[in-house]
Amino acid sequence: MTEEKKPEERKRRKTATEAAGRIGPMVKAAIRENLQAKEEGKPIAYSFIVCAYEEIIRAMDIVPAWTENYAAICAVKRDATRFLERAESENFSRSLCTYALCGLGFDVWREELGEMPPNPPWGGQARPDVMLGSGQMLCDPRNKWYQAAQRYMPDVPVYQTSLPWPPYEDDIDHREIEGYYVKHAVESLRGLVEFLEKQTGKKMDWDRLSELVDLVDRTWNIFIEAYELRKAVPTPMGTGDAMNTMVPLAFMLGTQEAYDFYKDLYDELQRKIANKEGVIPDEKYRLLWGGGLPSWFALTDFNYFNSKGAVFPVETTYRMAEPVYRLDMPKTSDPLEHIAWRWVKYWTYWYDKARKRPGSHPDVERLIQYIEDYKIDGVVMHEAFSCRTWHLGLIWQLNLLKKVYGDIPSLILESDIVDISSYSEVDTHNRIDAFIETLESVRSNR
Amino acid sequence: MPLKDTGGKGLATVEDYYQDYDSRARELRSQGKKIIGYLCALTPLEIITAAGLIPFRIKGDVNEPITLADTQMETIACPLVRSCFDISLKVNRNFLDGLVIPHACDSICRTYDVWKYSLDLPYSHFVNTPHLTNDLSLEFFKDELNTFRKSLGKFAGKEISDDSLSQAVKTYNENRARVRELYELRKSDPSQISGAEITRVLVAAMGIPIEESVEMISGVIDEVKQRAMVPTKRLPRIMVVGGQVDDVAFIKLVEDSGARVVADDLCPGAREFAADVNITGNPIDGIAERYLRKINCARTYREKKGTYQEYLEARFGHIGRAIKDFQVDGVVLYIYKYCDPFGFEVPAMKSYIESQGTPVLYLEDEYSMSTIGRLRTRIQAFLELISSR
Ligand code: SF4
Ligand code: SF4
Repeated sequence: MTEEKKPEERKRRKTATEAAGRIGPMVKAAIRENLQAKEEGKPIAYSFIVCAYEEIIRAMDIVPAWTENYAAICAVKRDATRFLERAESENFSRSLCTYALCGLGFDVWREELGEMPPNPPWGGQARPDVMLGSGQMLCDPRNKWYQAAQRYMPDVPVYQTSLPWPPYEDDIDHREIEGYYVKHAVESLRGLVEFLEKQTGKKMDWDRLSELVDLVDRTWNIFIEAYELRKAVPTPMGTGDAMNTMVPLAFMLGTQEAYDFYKDLYDELQRKIANKEGVIPDEKYRLLWGGGLPSWFALTDFNYFNSKGAVFPVETTYRMAEPVYRLDMPKTSDPLEHIAWRWVKYWTYWYDKARKRPGSHPDVERLIQYIEDYKIDGVVMHEAFSCRTWHLGLIWQLNLLKKVYGDIPSLILESDIVDISSYSEVDTHNRIDAFIETLESVRSNR
Repeated sequence: MPLKDTGGKGLATVEDYYQDYDSRARELRSQGKKIIGYLCALTPLEIITAAGLIPFRIKGDVNEPITLADTQMETIACPLVRSCFDISLKVNRNFLDGLVIPHACDSICRTYDVWKYSLDLPYSHFVNTPHLTNDLSLEFFKDELNTFRKSLGKFAGKEISDDSLSQAVKTYNENRARVRELYELRKSDPSQISGAEITRVLVAAMGIPIEESVEMISGVIDEVKQRAMVPTKRLPRIMVVGGQVDDVAFIKLVEDSGARVVADDLCPGAREFAADVNITGNPIDGIAERYLRKINCARTYREKKGTYQEYLEARFGHIGRAIKDFQVDGVVLYIYKYCDPFGFEVPAMKSYIESQGTPVLYLEDEYSMSTIGRLRTRIQAFLELISSR
């Protein structure tokens, strides 16, 4: 095996905000806490982000182990290849989601040894007591990954939530059908509570759940309020940092710590704006990160953009919230219903806007709104080959954007989230250079 | 060829439609019919037929290099979907009136908008098939099918009645029964009909109205039954398992390498024709039940009940049964690159089949003539292994 030749770790990326700098240690602590929790016999749940069950597991004191996050950590540390290869040797195709492959490779290895694989990044990923997948409209790995993992851990039960949302159609107003979507989501989440009660012996504390639901609402609000401060010129925070500061939203939702983090971020950004402190002093181009998960092993590319005078005041990636007061939510005293409404309203948030512009689409409306609000000069996307979820439809979105809105320079980088063999720094930097030249010539032709 | 062709209408018609796949759809369109393109076995066809529209399954073409599709769709979609999209941009858009896409897998779900906006047809709809098979999901799916029914009725200019749905259910069940009858002819040794022929029949049937399919397949059955069996050397009997295989190239490659493909778990194939729609008071109930629970496809998540072994039975038992029923000597898992639903199943599926004593060859492919050709040596080696057992 390849475990001996561990590739060199990357230098730490320079962050613009203090908040982003705090994330590394926070994640490390969270992974340690998981291992600690395991030792103390607390129930560990393999979990996915964007599955709307954060408050439920937090309210029941179940410890989430975010499997996507752990794979990304392996990637950041440039130590994922040996796990990918493990999965591949089990006959999992290397073209599948590499978070999943990395996680499965890790699981296979851990189960085989009965202990952590040698030198696991940050101590390793604890064996779960339950696995919580999800069938929705995001991704197949959300239900196939844990099913596949059960082959190696047949004793670990899986629960799948089912959380579809109304698709965008020309002839159907989503409000006509959202009722049965919400009802379905509520019952599916209720099933999750029952499952967790049965598997872990813990009881749901419904009052606590209501409190946490409210806390999540407030976290969503402050998160966006803080992020909207990035409209300032020069922008006080870029996408490179946002790939860190998304952590509390994605992995700590339903905790006071997450809320406090965004409150601090909000204050920090305000301070920076008051001092006219930007990501870079001389901001030449403002770019929108318009889609795609980042190459976790190459986050320093954001600094490369910065070195060329380009900043990213906004991104669609990991901005998985809207202020709840903008969502037109019906009042309900049932916390599960509230979660379900928030879920459906979030996914349909841009639909009305799209209907107003002939030929448009919600995803494109979102790009347009950001382009205008954040004074954007160009759009950059990243197509990670192994994840169809976030990376199919990027080309089309750019084409449609040009059709309904107008020409704007764009760049699609190609690599992966985890699999470093798909990446070439030289090529990437050359493409960035060429893109910067385009931005320059567009500007001088104006 | 070990079999002597008797010639006749059934297979000759099949050959015509296989060679000129969209000819019937274009013809019907010129007569004023409306043609609805669709993807995947999960599209509830009974509803389209009941609306008086003609469903036309979009297929790819392994011989056609993908070019136009790449200007709108990333190359990380499953290559079959890309090929289907490419052909749709080049050809199908000229005669399609609408598009229906079910929530199958990521490659399909996440490209619905790409299809919809690029083809820009008068009608489009996404059927949001849930992932689970529990009662909760079934109830949701009925609501979802009613939404589709309403929307398609609007497009067709008339409400879709229960009677027309029940009629469509009957015809589709009839068609499924015909296909199962045809499959019976694969059970003898040598099988009376080759795997390549079966694929041709099923593909030809995807592009024509269901009543015509029933008639065409009945003709094929009559014809094949009359074939004089010529004794030949016994060839390994192979089962092919995978996603949508809508081209004869791969099946032919296996057979040309010295085997007989006698069973499958494919689309089109056994996966689609195994189970009927139950006749229910409200026809939507039976339709929902079939498309959600009875199509055993990797994209649908089956909840674990009982032991892990029982769970494997629930997921792959149908493959095990086909191995016995069709006396299969070896199974080929033929899985496309970038296919998450099937890709994640491979280790479990492979070991399940092997645990029953049947050897398995796992091949990953890219749905193009050039890549298919490269598989020849591995297939030959596999067949040798089987023959030496
Ligand atoms: S397919 Fe994409 S969204 Fe799904 S788990 Fe993998 S990386 Fe995440
Ligand atoms: S082969 Fe796989 S990825 Fe392709 S359409 Fe079928 S299920 Fe989807």
